[in-house]
Amino acid sequence: RTPAALCVLADSREVASGPEVISSLKAVHGIKVQVVSLGVCDYVVSNRLAVERKTQAELLNGAQQSKAVQRVQRLKSTFERICVIVEKERPKAGEAWRAFHRTKRYDSILSAFIRAGIRVLFSSCQEETAELLAGLASVERRKKAALVAPTEVEGPQREALRFYLSIPCVSYPLALAFCHCFGSVKEMVNSSPGEMAARTQVMQQKAEEVYRYIYYHFEATMLP
Amino acid sequence: MPNETTPLRAGAVNVPYGHVIGNEKWKGSQITQGIQGKVNLILEDGLGIVDFHLSNRSCILYISEADMVAGNGFKRRLVQFRNVCNLQGIIIVEKTQISNQYFPAVQKFVVLELGMTLVPVANQGEAAQFIIQLVHEQMKDGASNPFLNKRSPTLLEASLFETVQQIPGVGKTKALLLLKQFGNIYQLCNASIPELEEVVGRTLAQQIHTFFTCAI
Repeated sequence: RTPAALCVLADSREVASGPEVISSLKAVHGIKVQVVSLGVCDYVVSNRLAVERKTQAELLNGAQQSKAVQRVQRLKSTFERICVIVEKERPKAGEAWRAFHRTKRYDSILSAFIRAGIRVLFSSCQEETAELLAGLASVERRKKAALVAPTEVEGPQREALRFYLSIPCVSYPLALAFCHCFGSVKEMVNSSPGEMAARTQVMQQKAEEVYRYIYYHFEATMLP
Repeated sequence: MPNETTPLRAGAVNVPYGHVIGNEKWKGSQITQGIQGKVNLILEDGLGIVDFHLSNRSCILYISEADMVAGNGFKRRLVQFRNVCNLQGIIIVEKTQISNQYFPAVQKFVVLELGMTLVPVANQGEAAQFIIQLVHEQMKDGASNPFLNKRSPTLLEASLFETVQQIPGVGKTKALLLLKQFGNIYQLCNASIPELEEVVGRTLAQQIHTFFTCAI
């Protein structure tokens, strides 16, 4: 009666930038890590929660900060909940240890996150980040929002998944749910928002957004 | 502390615009010195377990290095706070070389278990700077927060164009023809093979139809 292993989706870029996060998730926490091309964020730990991993430097430095802000802003349209993990970077070889100088920008972005209901966690290394991700995933499971296996798709489902993912407000877990909960793309397209919400357990509001997209009338002249 | 039994005082919840109401016990501390002059600070007695009230919605509880080292006493205070009021609690914690080792456990408790917000600072000076920023953030209207403002409704044409190109065998040219003919995804999805053949060749019409209807 042991519960099924937790599952986390990791963006393919994390294989290079956070190898220890991924290996620690697997080896220490026994979590199934599925590497996919998420694009919008670094990790997805449940049906509704996306996690962005940011280095301290990215939030301290103004130029890099605006990029971080843009990414989180984009996430807002696809995920119900967002969490940012601020990770201390490892000192590079040969580089002198630098003291952390808290900047006004850093404080102001933290307050902006807090006011917008974006959760912020602090980590001192990649292993600790993995521990936080594992913690988030188990909290989400307790709230019945855990990712439902299987997280991989095969054969013609791959094409359907890509099709669903191209809908602007659809997150990776929702696209997976469409693949698993509907027999065909046509069945999904012909369902009502209520049916969509009931089958995939997505919020009604999100289902309505998808529904509007399906019925949105194309004007060739509006194409940029 | 005499106010241990009164966790919160209702009156303090009405914080004037741009003000911070602080607990009397912070009088003369480095935090109050840091805040004064930048933001209006009023010190009041009898705030109970809350250290600073920021606005009608949120307040701050401060956990010092000594609190962390002393044990789990501060946990009771946080749970008590969460049980008695529905204000957003922002927990500021002194993360120093000494208290560093306790930080991961505290973070797990505060954020993952209690669902509250936690921000580490190195000392009271940093805490003051952070409180000032929090007050500034709350004085701004929501539109200036990049994560709060609703994005203006964008035209979906480009996305639709992209979506149709995800159908196997359909590129830019065919996607445009299909969208012009059928208008939306719903119509395209429910088109029959002969209807599709009017726009694309027989093979592709078959392929598109299969993509939509094939049980996966």
